[in-house]
Amino acid sequence: MKFISKGFLIALCVFSLFFLQVFNPVAAVAQKGAKTAKPPAAHPKLAEANYAFDVNAMGDMSDFDPATVQFPKGDTIKVAVVASFTGPAAIVGKIYWAAVAWAAYDINQRGGIMVDGKKKFVEVIQADHMGRLDQCKKVAERMALQEKVHVLIGTDGSHLMKVINQVADKYKIIAQNITSTSDDLMDATNFSRYAFMSCLSSSQVGSGLGYFYGQIRKKEKRFYIICQDYAFGRSIADSFKKGLKQYYPQAKIVGEDYHKLFLTDFAPYLEKIKAAKPDVIFTGDWIPDGANLVKQARQMGLKQPFAHLFLDDPNFLHEIGPQAATGNIQITQYGVEGGAFKTPEQIKYYKTWHDLWANRWKTEPYNSRLFEHGSGNLGSYRQQAYWLFSVIERAGSTDPEKIIAVWENDTYRLPTGKVLRMRACDHKVVQDLHVFEYVPAAQQKVSMNIEPYYWYKDAASTGLTWRIPAEKVMPWMDKNLERCAGKDEWGE
Amino acid sequence: MDVTASMYAAQAIHGIAFGMVLFLIAAGLNVIFGMMGILNLAHGAFFMLAAYFCYSVVAVTGSFWAALLIAPVLTALVGVIVERFFIRKVQIMGAMGELILTLGIAMLILGGVKFFWGTENLPISVPPILEGMVHIGALDYPIYRIFMIALALVVLAVMTLLLYKTRLGKIVRAAVSDREMVNALGINVPLVFMFVFGIGVWMAGIGGVVIAPILTVFPGLADQVGMYAFIVVVTGGLGSLKGAFIVSIIFGLLSSFGIQFFSQLAPVLIVGFMAFVLAIKPHGLFGVKE
Amino acid sequence: MIDKMKRWLPWAALIIALAFVPKIFGIYYMNFFITFAVFAVFSVSLNLLLGYTGLLSFGHAMYFGAGGYGTALALKYIWNLPLLPALSIGILGAVLLALIVCPLVVRVGGTAFAMMHMAFAQLLYVIALKSRFITGGEDGLANFRIPPFSIPGVVSFPLEGAPANFYYFAIIVLGASLWLMWFFTKTPFGQIQVGIRDNAKRIDYLGFKVTHAKAVVYIMSAAFAGVAGSVYAMFQNVVAPDGYLGLLVSFTPIINTMLGGIASFFGPVWGTAIYALIEEIIFRYTDRVELVIGIIFVLVIMYAPLGFSGLMLKLKFKWLMFKNKRMRQAA
Repeated sequence: MKFISKGFLIALCVFSLFFLQVFNPVAAVAQKGAKTAKPPAAHPKLAEANYAFDVNAMGDMSDFDPATVQFPKGDTIKVAVVASFTGPAAIVGKIYWAAVAWAAYDINQRGGIMVDGKKKFVEVIQADHMGRLDQCKKVAERMALQEKVHVLIGTDGSHLMKVINQVADKYKIIAQNITSTSDDLMDATNFSRYAFMSCLSSSQVGSGLGYFYGQIRKKEKRFYIICQDYAFGRSIADSFKKGLKQYYPQAKIVGEDYHKLFLTDFAPYLEKIKAAKPDVIFTGDWIPDGANLVKQARQMGLKQPFAHLFLDDPNFLHEIGPQAATGNIQITQYGVEGGAFKTPEQIKYYKTWHDLWANRWKTEPYNSRLFEHGSGNLGSYRQQAYWLFSVIERAGSTDPEKIIAVWENDTYRLPTGKVLRMRACDHKVVQDLHVFEYVPAAQQKVSMNIEPYYWYKDAASTGLTWRIPAEKVMPWMDKNLERCAGKDEWGE
Repeated sequence: MDVTASMYAAQAIHGIAFGMVLFLIAAGLNVIFGMMGILNLAHGAFFMLAAYFCYSVVAVTGSFWAALLIAPVLTALVGVIVERFFIRKVQIMGAMGELILTLGIAMLILGGVKFFWGTENLPISVPPILEGMVHIGALDYPIYRIFMIALALVVLAVMTLLLYKTRLGKIVRAAVSDREMVNALGINVPLVFMFVFGIGVWMAGIGGVVIAPILTVFPGLADQVGMYAFIVVVTGGLGSLKGAFIVSIIFGLLSSFGIQFFSQLAPVLIVGFMAFVLAIKPHGLFGVKE
Repeated sequence: MIDKMKRWLPWAALIIALAFVPKIFGIYYMNFFITFAVFAVFSVSLNLLLGYTGLLSFGHAMYFGAGGYGTALALKYIWNLPLLPALSIGILGAVLLALIVCPLVVRVGGTAFAMMHMAFAQLLYVIALKSRFITGGEDGLANFRIPPFSIPGVVSFPLEGAPANFYYFAIIVLGASLWLMWFFTKTPFGQIQVGIRDNAKRIDYLGFKVTHAKAVVYIMSAAFAGVAGSVYAMFQNVVAPDGYLGLLVSFTPIINTMLGGIASFFGPVWGTAIYALIEEIIFRYTDRVELVIGIIFVLVIMYAPLGFSGLMLKLKFKWLMFKNKRMRQAA
């Protein structure tokens, strides 16, 4: 034993230290922890994509300004954005316009798309439905008959989207729904081969949040539901109840209320919520109702977090301050887990938009906070437009039959890495969803992982993000729809 | 007090608070109708205009109290200009002329608001002094809403005093009864009416400023609250301040307790109540036949 | 003989022109015309109350909506319902509603009348909104079957998917409505209405029951508003609370009537045409919709209170005066 000299012992210590540095058990546990925290890999049906958005192929966007952008006329690929450009919801039309115009401008900067043997540019036209049913039909028909557009892109308000789908079906052009979440748009009564729903649906919202609370978060148990009393509000509430039942049976729904649209005074509802003592308040409300709800709730001393999908207007977030929104949970179709910027392409994509916003756009409302990051729903709309153009390019034609043939079962990869899949039988999208938590600026680094390490200095914004796998949040399929009879969730 | 009782108490206070704001707006409308016979369809729009002025004053001065002072006065000024240059010209055409004109003015204000302030939702916060809650036993109540009730009562008191205890009030009441006589007595009747219209709009303005921190300021504000104000005025009786007060409180309480007990039927309750009252008394609860 | 021909000629020409619209213009303008015709009938029906009887209603959408929803509900829930019964059910719905409301409203006039109607229309709006399972709530009813126009055993024209056929159907129904209303105003009964507007007390002294007369015109007005609503429902293939029962729907015929002229039968028709043109032309090029509407209202009421027809009348008068002057100067 005396043979084990001092030197050997010292070498052993040094070696052990070296060993520990490299194979640190703590680090190993943390690594393992990170591994288990990492969600399972994407479903095999969403692992590959027919087409992936290539940031490096983007055209020169340096002259793009949504307020002043002009599109070529003549023999073009025409798309109409049908939305509210006037009336109380006028801001919505501007958001869609910015998104679609961005994508179209990019395509044009790249030289256009080869269709029917010719290289053609994209032309985007605004069509204002003023939020009115009769005006929507009129303006959609004008786009189809007089402007001869190839695609109608719409809109907020499922009753309006139904009209647009009807017009597209009647005159045999394509209708793309980038935002209306109503599941019944693609049911047996309303389905049309020419209509495509490239956004998430109400049924997914509920099951997504149910899955999150039941299978990922596993903390809060008491939920209060308060939604707007109309088709959308009710379907969102229904889907949340179903989602909880499916993924979180231990959850308790301690109250359920439906308030009139554009309600001014939430106080009586908030009183009921207070008495019910929930852990989380679920709402499908959008601004202004959502804003008033949260504002008044905080004023009345209600501190519970809200689970929602639309309360992300930056003006509103700044107004209520970081504390009031911290802890809120949002489900989104354009999220990404583990930091938003993992590749140089993702940084480039973000900066192309952000720098233009910061330096070039000077006109209301495009220069406001609402358009600063170009992510969230705005990000989703931009990519949905890119998807449309990619489909047209691969179809090599503006003939709706060829477009339908390409789009059905198509898979498309977003810059965030997520893959969208267009279910053939009912034209709905199968996709992973994401859920994130609102945190104050200091903690936003976990998602905004490049300079300046926060999304908003004085408001709560995206913090930790979780992925909800697509197979857990399949959009509802109407079994009565003949095309879908006998098919599974994936439409096969 | 125990939890349930405190919840009911809170709902009652909510109802009264909401009713009080409704009353501020409805009272202005009533003052104008009662004194001048004009049903001002632009009243909701003036209310909204005041909220926007409030936003601007707060943006410039940072003080909600300054806004409370200035915004209603600015709105009243706009109202006075409208009366002097527009309403006066169509009064000869009777009720219909005024209705159409004020409708046109309402649209102009709506368009103007969008033109100057844009279509986005503008935020206003409760002034720091009024933030927070009061605690009485198990009852927690936001201070700001108590302030709303108090302010409305103060305005009502001042109005009543003005109308019934001052010489000016006497002139106004006389001019309403017998315009020609008062004119013959050498009093400038058109000026009096201009003043009355201004006061009515000013009251709507106060309502607009007071409610702004609770709500979001956006172009749909006029429709949201304006409709309710009309329902109150029509149900209470055009021209009757007392009627407007009582009906406002009833509506506020109906709304609160309706939501508490019959959650989804609440809006039907209010419109139903109005239809019911009008079916029995077409001129409103305390209305006077024209 | 020539005089008579002179009077009938413009009408004959109009009818021929209408018949050829589908051939000359495309679907878009045909539809534009149908919408115009629907709102023209709706506005004239309101003018029966407003211009002729002096009663302003802020809730005429009630009857338009009753017609629209009546027809839509019938087509959705009654299997294989033919066209004319569907139309009739719509009209019946409007008439029934009018019968219920009538006793409450005939005793009042002026502002009370106007506001009561606003109240009732709002009530109906909220009910339609809330009865989600019957009326489809906010989204309303859509994609219901449009039956073909058929006289059993004789002939059958499909209307769904055949825009020209529907155009003829709509024009005939709406044209007939207009003619019936015009005829009504020319009857002695129609004259009583004008009397009520101008001096109700005197009509009462003359022995006519004012409230009864008011009731009859009220129900007629409601019925024709129902026709307009019913045709519109079949045209749009969608009914929803906002498009059929909302406040704007009540205000539109008032706007049209004011613009076109309250004192003439065809005033509202002109007004509808003018407003439709404004919508087509001006609204395409500007965001400032409310500003434009507001300016038009204010200008019209302040400077042309009798609307377009009033202006025409003034111009005609001036022209006659001018002719007279010239003739006298020549003499």
